[in-house]
Amino acid sequence: MRLGMVIDLKRCIGCYGCQVACKAENGTRPGTTYARLLKIETGTFPNVRRTTLPLLCMHCADPPCVDVCPTGASQKREDGIVFIDTEWCVGCRACMMACPYGARYYQDEAHLYFGDVLTPYEEVRYADHLEGVVEKCDFCRHRLEQGLEPACVANCMAKARIFGDLDDPESEVSRLVREEAGFQLNPELGTDPSVFYLAAVR
Amino acid sequence: MALDDRLDLRRSDLSLTYRPQREWIEGRGLLLVIAHFFSAAGAGAWIFGAWFDVRAAQIVALVTIAILSGWAHVFFLGRWSRFWRMARRPHRSWISRGLWSMGIYMVGAVGVLLVGGDEGPIGDVLLAVSLAGAGLLLLYEGFVYSASVGIPFWRTVMLPLLSVAYGLRGGAAVLLILAALGEGTFDIDAVEVVKLWVVLSTAVLVAIYLAAAGRAGGAARESMRQLVSGRISPVFYGGTIAVGIVVPLALGAASLIGGSALLLLGVIGGASLIGDFYVRYSIVKAGVYVPLQGAGLPAVGGRG
Repeated sequence: MRLGMVIDLKRCIGCYGCQVACKAENGTRPGTTYARLLKIETGTFPNVRRTTLPLLCMHCADPPCVDVCPTGASQKREDGIVFIDTEWCVGCRACMMACPYGARYYQDEAHLYFGDVLTPYEEVRYADHLEGVVEKCDFCRHRLEQGLEPACVANCMAKARIFGDLDDPESEVSRLVREEAGFQLNPELGTDPSVFYLAAVR
Repeated sequence: MALDDRLDLRRSDLSLTYRPQREWIEGRGLLLVIAHFFSAAGAGAWIFGAWFDVRAAQIVALVTIAILSGWAHVFFLGRWSRFWRMARRPHRSWISRGLWSMGIYMVGAVGVLLVGGDEGPIGDVLLAVSLAGAGLLLLYEGFVYSASVGIPFWRTVMLPLLSVAYGLRGGAAVLLILAALGEGTFDIDAVEVVKLWVVLSTAVLVAIYLAAAGRAGGAARESMRQLVSGRISPVFYGGTIAVGIVVPLALGAASLIGGSALLLLGVIGGASLIGDFYVRYSIVKAGVYVPLQGAGLPAVGGRG
């Protein structure tokens, strides 16, 4: 099994719904956005085009972040999910240097949204997040265990995100990659990401 | 840095095609560069101290590695009390190997210093162990950076070579400073020749490294551009080139021709060490991530 995602750039409307859903689901601190968007403008006036590029951890089949981790905190599961066991992370940030996709976030201080006081929400949610460690998207492992899809997939109003088993040729993700020419970001690096994109114009 | 400043910085990085790395150079990240500087200079000082039989250099080496480098490494970490966990994966991680190298070196070095002038088999074994550890310390730093897939400027076999060369430079510089301070009796002329050779070698290696980066294109070329004509050029030309290469070469050549004044040798050593630090600082600060690219997409940064 190789869990992966296909993101249809033609469907994505750049609403930031995935980013907000991820933040709400994982209770991440300010500045930490496991799921995020890049807005790319191409062309010159009047022929200008804006493309939204959703980004997250690519859960690479050959993850360089796992190789460089000195403690084994960064791990790859049998189902392909790359995750961080923050109880083992020492915060050396070697994984951040290794990751070409900017998917990892170092939790260096207890940044708060509202001054120096934790809101009741922050008190509850930030308790799950240690300082001095690195965090990232883990395809919402806790939701997968309950038979749910990752929060970004479930909340995408445009149905631009499809999640499934890339090793199953009959799955929707496999079909889309095969039939719609799904592409990876920076395949030349040899990381073999498990997140594929479908072109905005096709 | 205040939260708003950090978020603004992150947003501005997002607009860049070539997003600079900041975790290993800004804030506490600077401690990592300092740690690598101390471990390399210490390892070089140990090797030269053993070669020229200068006990003072060996003591300086042990203190530099065990205390200065060791603590800088530890306090760089986000969860420093867990540092021992970094020993878990020497089969995969160069950081793990670095920790083991430091341990191997310290066992051998402490043994050598305790045994004193014992030339017997025990002393020989301890010396061999310490030299092996010092050699690994010289190497590991370069490989830690070259393992960074996300930063093409570092992803080259030149970095381990530079790491070794600059470590040996640092070691020779320590000997020159000790000579200026009147510590130890040794063949200072031989040290000068070695020093001159190492300085020339590092200058050539830096030139080759930058030329290769320029030809590589993309993010590596951008890093090189930032180093030689961009935001890092003042530090690079001032610290790495002027103080670190030109001054030692000029003064070294002058001392070879006109005779060695000890104070002059101390200045050469000091300048060389400053250059050693700044070459590391410059290379680490120049690291930019490979821009994200896919079919039909223009190259973009990636931090959200």
